[in-house]
Amino acid sequence: MIEYIVSVLLIAIIYAIFSLGLNLEWGLTGLINFGHVAFLAIGAYTTVILNLRGVPLIPSMLVAVALAGLCGALLGLPTLKLREDYLAIVTIGFSEIVRLILLNEEWLTRGPLGMHGYSRPLADFVSVDYNYFLLIVVLTCLIVCYFMLERLVKSPWGRVIKSIREDEDVASSLGKNVFSYKIQSLVLGSAIAGLSGSLLAFYMRYINPMNFVPIETFYAWIIVVLGGSGNNRGTILGAIILWIFFSGTRFIQGDLPITPSQAGALRIMFIGLALIILMMFKPEGILGRKEELLLEQ
Amino acid sequence: MLSVQGIEKSYGGIRALDGASLDVEEGKIIGIIGPNGAGKTTLFKIISGFVKPNSGKILFEGKNIENSQSHEIARTGLIRTFQLSKALTKMTVLENLMLAPKYQEGEKIWNVWLQPKLIKDQEEESREKALSLLKSFELFRLKDEYAGALSGGQKRLLELARAIMAEPKMLLLDEPFSGVNPYLGMRLLDHIESLRSDCGMTFLIIEHDMPMIMQLSDYIYVLNKGQVIASGLPREVKEDEGVLDAYLGGV
Amino acid sequence: MMQVIINGIVLGSVIALAAIGLSMIYGILNFANFAHGDLMALGAYLAFVFNVIFEMNFLVACTLSIILTSLICVLFEHLIWKPMRRKSAGRVSLIIISIGLALFIRNLIIFLWGPDIKRYALPVRRGIDIGSLVITQNQIAVIIVAVASMFFLHFVLKRTTIGTAMRALSDNIDLAKASGIDVDSVIRYTWAIGIALAAIGGILYGVLTNINPNMGWFMVLPIFAAAILGGIGNPYGAMIGGLVIGLAQEISTAVLPTEYKLAVGFIIMIAVLLVRPQGILGGV
Repeated sequence: MIEYIVSVLLIAIIYAIFSLGLNLEWGLTGLINFGHVAFLAIGAYTTVILNLRGVPLIPSMLVAVALAGLCGALLGLPTLKLREDYLAIVTIGFSEIVRLILLNEEWLTRGPLGMHGYSRPLADFVSVDYNYFLLIVVLTCLIVCYFMLERLVKSPWGRVIKSIREDEDVASSLGKNVFSYKIQSLVLGSAIAGLSGSLLAFYMRYINPMNFVPIETFYAWIIVVLGGSGNNRGTILGAIILWIFFSGTRFIQGDLPITPSQAGALRIMFIGLALIILMMFKPEGILGRKEELLLEQ
Repeated sequence: MLSVQGIEKSYGGIRALDGASLDVEEGKIIGIIGPNGAGKTTLFKIISGFVKPNSGKILFEGKNIENSQSHEIARTGLIRTFQLSKALTKMTVLENLMLAPKYQEGEKIWNVWLQPKLIKDQEEESREKALSLLKSFELFRLKDEYAGALSGGQKRLLELARAIMAEPKMLLLDEPFSGVNPYLGMRLLDHIESLRSDCGMTFLIIEHDMPMIMQLSDYIYVLNKGQVIASGLPREVKEDEGVLDAYLGGV
Repeated sequence: MMQVIINGIVLGSVIALAAIGLSMIYGILNFANFAHGDLMALGAYLAFVFNVIFEMNFLVACTLSIILTSLICVLFEHLIWKPMRRKSAGRVSLIIISIGLALFIRNLIIFLWGPDIKRYALPVRRGIDIGSLVITQNQIAVIIVAVASMFFLHFVLKRTTIGTAMRALSDNIDLAKASGIDVDSVIRYTWAIGIALAAIGGILYGVLTNINPNMGWFMVLPIFAAAILGGIGNPYGAMIGGLVIGLAQEISTAVLPTEYKLAVGFIIMIAVLLVRPQGILGGV
């Protein structure tokens, strides 16, 4: 039972880190990024590919995080000036292309077969169940990210970002380079997603392109929206709630006369419905503040 | 200080500006008037870099800015306000002001972690300046309110205060008196005049409120159909036939 | 090469049908409906239910499905979109809601009918050989239906009051309101017609390939690309856009590995957005 809880906690925290990146981009800066999963994938695959070629883990992870951030910049440079709905469409396209590349460039990624056999941090030295150790690693990453982001939110940089979210023209008229700030936000958010990708690879011990489909992005979205867009604590809360939902429903599904695939579908139906109801009736989520909402035309 | 030379701008088939030119001397308050659709706000957008002209030149303190970006122009000291008040409603009044100063080290992302002490000191300084500015604008008691809770007139004062926090050399004010009640309007007027006399700040103001702009301005330009059709001292312009025609004859 | 062109035209017709509805709704309601693909899929599945499960004649099944899918959309308009408009919801809220709706519909389909591939109860027919080219009867049927649907739409837009009202609304919504047009009613009709076309598109796609829960999401990018290419809000643009995207995708298989076909539509879309965001037939 304890192992199960540890396992669920692990994945919940990894999703929390992933979603914190999105919270920075959407909640704080107001960028509609529907391609966030692409950076999860880049983080995971880069770590794994490098490690399987003999690069030690820490440098692999660092490169993975940096590459994810860099790809964020590459995505942003041509697209951030697009109107918000166009940005949404384009970012989904981007993440799908990344997934297609992972699926088809078998020389690099072994395509649909996926990759395994890579090492995990200090795996040789840990005598207890490795997940306990990984939990500490993951928790540390979460705490570091959380405090780093909180610092940012309260800083003058955060103030500029918030002003951009509400009204770019005001920020420009006061001398702030709006485009540069948006790129910074995207780069950092993508780098954080890349980190969560590395951690995901360690947790799952095996990755394949099916782990990086668009719905993962939308899990992050519901986490952020549920918790309260822009609120980092809310995001962490959202991740925990989502995973309690996922794992809790697994317990009762045996009692219902439905197949596993139906159970899975029912879960996502619920999530879709939750997203609709949240946006219609409580868009500020659990911890968000109504005064800071910016969703009206 | 500011020299606008022959600005032309067309949108599709419509000529918004057709060779508009004007000059603003340092330390003066210059007014721009004209009927609706004359191109006044378009001219402001072009001067402040939000829109690119099709042709023409703009010189600010001797440098060409017609092709510069809006944030670059703001950094050279030319700050504009907007026709539809743009107080940042999701931030408090104080935060609105503290956004404005130009050289905040805390706005650089790496400094947030590398230079916390410097940022703290700068924020303190900024805060004091903001508070004293709020006091002189009589907005001090609203400092922690979300700007969305302010009245129209208060928002305009906030915008002016915010623009001043940015230490501008010249302010472009777009209809600063519109929607403002007479009392706040007088306070606004006083502030503008004292900024000019105490700090030597230069103003270029678009305004429809005739009494206000006539009282305030040292010199007036009249815009109609994208061109300057008259310019001069307020009392001269008031009596100019062409100006009366433009307003009464309709666009 | 000609074979590829034929395939492209066929695929393009399906994309065009779906894109018309998306484009019209986007133009009037001003938001990107990400649930559009899954509504297409719903149309395909409902036709399957009537055709295979209730063993009805295929054409009857299609008609029922089109009507039902259309009505379901009008229901969503009543339950979701109209209330959100009343609240002056921004584009972003609507997009996020449409994502929630897409997830809901797609998984409802899986819940009700399972994740495996299905097909319509249609007789297998021989293709027609024209020299070295093969064109199946299904492909011919698809083109005929698509073209007929587009003509029907054209007729509605040009000759009926509701069509004229739709055009007025997409041109200038305030002017339309001022001239006394019942905006809510026109919006309802736009949904009904747009989604009916999408349902037809879904069924045709099911006829051409197969019916599976991801078919809608699979088509979402090409459909958006077609709508953007043609100019959001312009149904004729969507028709042209659909054909172009379909052709481009199929022709690209000559140079790119087929797995990257989807990327072609995406690249065209990005290029359009960066260079001429109003699309081919969009206004200034």
